[in-house]
Amino acid sequence: MSSTGRNFGFAYALLVILPLIGLAGVLRNGRGLSAPAAIDGIWSFHFDPAQNGSSCASFLAALPEKTISISQSGTTFVLSASGDPKISGSGTLAGTKFKAAFGSTEPADGGCRGHQSVLVAELGREQGLDKLAGTLSTADCPSCAPVAFHAERAPVTPPAAAPNNGGH
Amino acid sequence: MPNLFTLVLQITVILAVCRIVGSLFQKIHQPRVVGEMFAGILLGPSLLGWIAPRVSAYLFPSSSLGFLNALSQVGVVIFMFLVGLGINPKELKHQSHAAVLVSHVSITAPFVLASLLALYLYPILSNDSVSFPNFALFMGAAMSITAFPVLARILNERNMMQSRLGTVAIACAAVDDVTGWCILAYIVVLIRAAHQTTPIWITIGGILLFAALMIYGVRFLLRGYEHAFRKNGEISENGMAFLILLAMVSALCTERLGIHLLFGSFLMGAIMPKEPKFVRYVLDRFETVTITLLLPLFFAFTGLRTNIGLMKGPAMWFYCALIILAATGGKLGGSTIGGWLSGMPVREAAGLGTLMNTRGLMELVILNIGLDIKVISPALFSMMVVMALFTTFMTTPVLELICPDQALRTVPKKVSAPSVALQEIA
Repeated sequence: MSSTGRNFGFAYALLVILPLIGLAGVLRNGRGLSAPAAIDGIWSFHFDPAQNGSSCASFLAALPEKTISISQSGTTFVLSASGDPKISGSGTLAGTKFKAAFGSTEPADGGCRGHQSVLVAELGREQGLDKLAGTLSTADCPSCAPVAFHAERAPVTPPAAAPNNGGH
Repeated sequence: MPNLFTLVLQITVILAVCRIVGSLFQKIHQPRVVGEMFAGILLGPSLLGWIAPRVSAYLFPSSSLGFLNALSQVGVVIFMFLVGLGINPKELKHQSHAAVLVSHVSITAPFVLASLLALYLYPILSNDSVSFPNFALFMGAAMSITAFPVLARILNERNMMQSRLGTVAIACAAVDDVTGWCILAYIVVLIRAAHQTTPIWITIGGILLFAALMIYGVRFLLRGYEHAFRKNGEISENGMAFLILLAMVSALCTERLGIHLLFGSFLMGAIMPKEPKFVRYVLDRFETVTITLLLPLFFAFTGLRTNIGLMKGPAMWFYCALIILAATGGKLGGSTIGGWLSGMPVREAAGLGTLMNTRGLMELVILNIGLDIKVISPALFSMMVVMALFTTFMTTPVLELICPDQALRTVPKKVSAPSVALQEIA
């Protein structure tokens, strides 16, 4: 074998084969890592009927089928609901603790007008469905009592490689 | 039914903004395509949606985006056919030692760095519906890609296409793209198979059978195009229509087989006859509509999905900086070291590394697939788009800095016409 061939073989082993072995090791070790629970998707919210009259929750009761879309990026997420009232906000997920703050295009009546709403909940799983259970409150609004709610995530559909919608 | 007024208004605004921003970027010696990619970001939630949310909601209501996406996807299907058309397998077969080493290092180095970075980012930016190997492999594939057409454009503008540096860069970029797409196909199959009842071996077997049928069967039938072109000096309208039909059928087959439309159109382009004049002729027929009309729609659609606002706080920008560092270190650094160890002078090897670090449109195509199959999150998608823009933007000024003299541009070397022809695609 010529010296050029030997050099090429050495360089190839050092720069290509060795890193590939390292890559296999990284992929193997990475299997032990855990990522935040998946909450991405459409959630159906149900508010305690006895408290639906609360000014804090009244605008949420008007949401179309009370569904909120969550777009997750690891431990952070944004939530939104189109239509009237249009709501948008963001939150964090720490383990199973879910916390989100959002505003609405239609502020609640009474003393909490213009204040941000806060959802605090615990994430759980029942019968194969992801669930949230917690309270909705209005930041800095003592006149608004927290409203209990629970929510379920719609079953996840298979990812489409060639989407036929907006993909948002 | 689509709201035609909204759709035509969207197309008008997108084309106008892309043309203006593309021209402005050309004034600062950047390829037009970089400006058009940037224009897409400007039209999305990162700028227009942020400073004028009502205008953004009027121009791009979420209910209308499906139609815009469909049009843009048709453009990308045709674009991938043209990219495949520009790749000449014979060119890849006769690579020098330098090209073999550089192309393989320029894949493995960013791949390893990306997977190491994935160890850090997976618990922060992913979720448990995505497995770590899929996440890491996707990051690796996305970082190891090189924008073959943009590279050809830059080389041509700098009169470097016929230099040793230019020919090695083009050959390496072609190898990188083919490899990157194969890895991506594997990831898409793995992810989609997890949601399907069909066993994965049937999916993989079907894909291999289809590829074999195309390469060993359809490719020989396509020689009829070359013969007809040699005889008549042109391809009839029916012939061109049949060509589009073949690209679309191939795209549909790969989509049905469980990978993606784009693999089929790319494969159809790759098995087309490679006679230089024929390739030039086909490119001329397709590129005007694809490049001036359909690709800007893809840039805009990508921009509408990119939300820089998701990168809130210094931590997110730190992750973005790490991604840029890993992508640049792996691609530019790996290619430079590979080139240098293959006997290239340091400056020439650094020039090669800079060229290989160009990601451009190909990166956006891959990232959109990643977001569609949910292997990357919206925030990570936005960071990777910033990385794609950054690495593509830096190519021209860094190359100017590293290779300012004519010496690197004048080494005579035979270069295949398809590569030259590709200069126009970008």
